[in-house]
Amino acid sequence: MRAGEAEVFDLGYQRYTGPREGRSRARLALFENGVRTVLGIGRGGRAKILPVGLFLAVMTPALVFVTILAFLDPVAGDEAADFIPGPADYYSIVSVILIIFGAIMAPELLCPDRRDNVLPLYLVRPLTSNDYLIARFLAFFAIVLVLVYAGQIVLQAGLILTANDQVDYLRENWEDVPRILFMGALIAAFISVGPLAVAAFTTRRAYAAAFIIAAWLLLNSISDGLTFQECTFDTVAQDGETISRTEECTRPVGDLAPYVGLLHLGGVTDNINNMVFDVDPGPGEGSPASIAVSELHDAFPIGVYVLWTGIPALLLWHRYRRIRL
Amino acid sequence: MPALLEARNLTKHYGSTVALDGVSFDVSEGVTGLLGPNGAGKSTAMKLFLGLIQPTSGSAMLLGEEPYRSTEGRARIGYMPENECLPRSMTASEFLMHMAQVSGIPPGQARTRAADVLRHVGLDEERYRPIGEYSTGMKQRVKLAQAIVHDPVLVLLDEPTAGLDPDGRQEMLRLIHRTANTFGISVMLSTHLMGDVERTADSVLVLESGVLAQEGAVAKLTEETETLLIEVADRHEEFVTALAAKGVHASDDGQMLVIEQAREADYDLIRDAAVESGARIRRLSPERRTLTDIFRSRPA
Repeated sequence: MRAGEAEVFDLGYQRYTGPREGRSRARLALFENGVRTVLGIGRGGRAKILPVGLFLAVMTPALVFVTILAFLDPVAGDEAADFIPGPADYYSIVSVILIIFGAIMAPELLCPDRRDNVLPLYLVRPLTSNDYLIARFLAFFAIVLVLVYAGQIVLQAGLILTANDQVDYLRENWEDVPRILFMGALIAAFISVGPLAVAAFTTRRAYAAAFIIAAWLLLNSISDGLTFQECTFDTVAQDGETISRTEECTRPVGDLAPYVGLLHLGGVTDNINNMVFDVDPGPGEGSPASIAVSELHDAFPIGVYVLWTGIPALLLWHRYRRIRL
Repeated sequence: MPALLEARNLTKHYGSTVALDGVSFDVSEGVTGLLGPNGAGKSTAMKLFLGLIQPTSGSAMLLGEEPYRSTEGRARIGYMPENECLPRSMTASEFLMHMAQVSGIPPGQARTRAADVLRHVGLDEERYRPIGEYSTGMKQRVKLAQAIVHDPVLVLLDEPTAGLDPDGRQEMLRLIHRTANTFGISVMLSTHLMGDVERTADSVLVLESGVLAQEGAVAKLTEETETLLIEVADRHEEFVTALAAKGVHASDDGQMLVIEQAREADYDLIRDAAVESGARIRRLSPERRTLTDIFRSRPA
């Protein structure tokens, strides 16, 4: 054949003789696909709006605090710096945004697979339903983990860089690093497993998201309403001055308030956060429910966290074990 | 050569409903038709071999393994379900790459396989369009493509021509034929359409009400019968009378003369009757059975 007389040959169907990596590759593929699905990678611009928007929303408080810190003068002892939330407060501040992220994005991972009937195609391959669930859970957990750490990293960087003495700051606050890592993992697990469990019971993403947000608002409102502390004040004269003195504080559910406070969904991680960062929420600091729960032994909030992550995990496992294909 | 699929006393109950009742059979290389009316237990049998459900008793072995307990064998088989099973928002290319990886193929090779297989099923040009925009025929081809993207040794197809127009059906049957004969992938074809089995399958298993009603090679089941069909051009009445005079009874089915239970000697008598009556014989042949006849002749 002369140069320039190239021909295209159809080689026909070729048998595959390359490597077959079995179950481990299958799990990894599902994990990667889960990450891509949540972040809208490989989809049009519309699929990226929600994840990017919610990511920015979680990051915004950290960026605002760091910006404020940058304009304060720590050497001059600017008192405003004392009011900037630290790592102990950050998770509580962004918890609402995180639950919205979980409510909207977690159903994205499970609902379409069941709505479009893709699940049988996975389960006839070298995968079990547990592999499927674990890969989907890990994909979402990893994304939420990055999300919760990212804000803290920005905030920590701001606090370190704006400190009078960076080395002194690090020496005094090094314990915050394991606390941030540990608490971030607990929050990511809580934000992942609950919404995924709800998503396992419907093929409609909107229903799952609405249910999660409604449950969040309802339980938080009820527990806050029933644990709100109302105090009466007595006015007395002391050293020629008139001062107010607390006479009596009451709650609608009385002594049951600390237990009712455990129903607060936002408090599930807030109460653990207070323990991990050794914070005692006083009046005006935190929700009425978390103030009430702080009167209980630490075992109660820990038990509630275990229940709120363990029961959804069991439901999720049971649902997929029993699913009819 | 060991069987690809083995059923031994395979039984599956759904509550009080018996979907499969102690069936035993083997499926070897080539194209095997799993034939039966709706509710016969075809889909249940497939799901048992795929490990999607567990047998109530007996065993369903896939490539020598129990698919419900082991995932190894499942890496070497493909499955095309009857109903919708495709993600609407993904492109065919992305979906096939993903499914190849879920079958254990590394990403680089998965990309090549996806492109090759989509070309073979005729979706080369459309592979970057979301599947939700595809026609029914195109979706059926994507379903077949995902079942063979990892080059399995066996592919199980559940009603692959369901919902297709005549052209689409022809195209799908051609693809199934190519899958077995050109690609070298054995096929188990579940269908209630006998024509699909007759056109594509080497052997057939007939399920009815959860039991194995018939099995064998399609060529054997549709072999020549003892019935002779005769078509004469003229002198029809004289020919029938001449046959009767020689002791051969021929009935007229409106188009042909039919001689039941024909013996070897009857051929000579037919020749003699034709000579005597002056009738010209256009066609003389033994009747071949169809799978439809097999269904009709079985006692209810």
